Amino acid sequence: MIKRLLVANRGEIALRIIRACRELGVESVAVYSEADTRAPHVSAADRAVHIGPAPASSSYLSTARLLEAATASGADAIHPGYGFLSENAAFAAACEESGVTFVGPPSSVIAQMGSKIAARRLMQAAGVPVVPGETPQDQSDAGIGTALARVGVPALVKASAGGGGKGMRLVDDERQAVEAIQMARREAESAFGDGTLYVEQVIDRPRHVEVQIFADAHDHVVHLFERECSVQRRHQKVIEESPSIVVTPKLRSRMTDAAIQAARACGYRNAGTVEFLVDVSGGRGAERFYFLEMNTRLQVEHPVTEQVTGLDIVRAQILVASGEPLPWVSPWITQRGHAIEARVYAEDPSRGFLPQAGPLLLYREPRWPGVRVDSGVEEGGDVPVHYDPLLAKVIASAATRGEATARLVCALRAFPILGVQTNISFLLRILEHPRFRSGEIDTGFLDREGASLATAAPPPMPDAVRAVLDSVSHESETGRSRVDASRSQVGSSVDPWERLTTWRP
Amino acid sequence: MATVTQIAPGAYRVEENGKQVVVFVAGTADDRWVFCNGEIYRERQTRESGTRQPGDRPPKGGHYDLNAPMPATVVKILVTPGQPVRQGDTLVVLEAMKMELPIRAPGDAVVQTVNCREGELVQPDRTLVELA
Repeated sequence: MIKRLLVANRGEIALRIIRACRELGVESVAVYSEADTRAPHVSAADRAVHIGPAPASSSYLSTARLLEAATASGADAIHPGYGFLSENAAFAAACEESGVTFVGPPSSVIAQMGSKIAARRLMQAAGVPVVPGETPQDQSDAGIGTALARVGVPALVKASAGGGGKGMRLVDDERQAVEAIQMARREAESAFGDGTLYVEQVIDRPRHVEVQIFADAHDHVVHLFERECSVQRRHQKVIEESPSIVVTPKLRSRMTDAAIQAARACGYRNAGTVEFLVDVSGGRGAERFYFLEMNTRLQVEHPVTEQVTGLDIVRAQILVASGEPLPWVSPWITQRGHAIEARVYAEDPSRGFLPQAGPLLLYREPRWPGVRVDSGVEEGGDVPVHYDPLLAKVIASAATRGEATARLVCALRAFPILGVQTNISFLLRILEHPRFRSGEIDTGFLDREGASLATAAPPPMPDAVRAVLDSVSHESETGRSRVDASRSQVGSSVDPWERLTTWRP
Repeated sequence: MATVTQIAPGAYRVEENGKQVVVFVAGTADDRWVFCNGEIYRERQTRESGTRQPGDRPPKGGHYDLNAPMPATVVKILVTPGQPVRQGDTLVVLEAMKMELPIRAPGDAVVQTVNCREGELVQPDRTLVELA
């Protein structure tokens, strides 16, 4: 069993992993940059190691510093979380070489799945359907052009090393082909150092449905059902849910079988996600699905799966990485009710989703039945400029999709965050959109409608807000009381039991 | 007439015509943040001009330095020196934390200088474009 686990991450996911360690009796080691000295994940762990200056490249992305921290703290395992080095095969290999257990799949699997072309070939060989396309040997403009002509426009030119929409170009017209090929190659070379391209047919209005899989070292591979993440902005997921409204029992059994085949084909270990595009244009019963890519790590949206299955994915990751068999077997893994997650970001939707940094003057998480909040910040803390501005994930669970949506809306309306702009009002507009309510969402939904939702005029200031502002400014002018919930007051409490510091029973 | 009762630091219950709502307030008299029912309202005071909203145009005929708001990569430059621009035109597109940030003209002006190049990593407060 792992004795001491170093968590090579920050924010909400670091806290999530540290808490799983505590429940398992595994010692946790946090790492932190200069900007995170007072961050909640640092204090939550049993030990903490300062790993460098604020920029991620010299702290959370530095293999050398992380391995030094593991040695210095006596950690025998590293959990990478998501983002940062979680899908970096060289980092996983460096852990393997230095004798530290990497909580995740073998580095060879990360490398293989990181190459989109290699992953496509492997899946095709394993009988998993892939998006129709071509992976040309001839990587010249002419070679890719021929592949494009064979696939037919519209088509996507994609980078083999790509991800997150980088190194990807849509070709509508063959006359633009050369330009698109050159741009995709340039982008891929600068972002990933590898300009290898392939061509995929465009699926019309696809849904993004992914299957959570889990494999151990004892030949068990299970699936934990699907998540739908079709609400995306520029390939960044915004709202995720389970089950998917378009997945029928028959389709579910075909997709989960394919996901398990995919995991077996690559010799997968630990938690992973197989992403598919689903084409529902043929109508119910005639859905087609295609392998998109495999994510060889814990996903941001893993809580929706935990909520509908009642299982703890992070705990199982630590057990399986320790060499133990999976704590669950497939016949009794069930999917019950519905869960929806909204990602709360410090960003300003009305200004092009500009990431926000600054002090959290007021931050009070909703307390609501059936609502889980996974967060990595506290009132009085700061949102640094250097990292992803995710503040919290709010996950609502209920018996049905409609009830879960209503619950999530109520929870977000009761989640005051002040000091930085957030996307809460934008999330509310999505959740209240008739197309979201009816489930007619495809991956292009936010690209088509998101801009108008983001820049929609905010409602006029309610009278109640005006009344409070007047009352607050009057009181501060007359000096009757200090009412600013400013930093000096942050953390003060109205709980009399906390105030009675000299009281003894 | 609304009745306002403070119920916790930064939290107020407002009662009006028999209905009530809870409002959260933070910040200083110069920069007040309010949350009510999922929406953020922000009221900023400047000494001369009273309430100003973010993105308001600066005084006419001025000289503007448009700076990088955070460490970012310059993805696209859409203007050249001498080019007239209208308020709201995108001048430069930055990318940070996986997101694109358009830098827009705060008012009608003419581009004086462009001080960055595509692909360059820029630090906060670095001037990208000068307008006048």
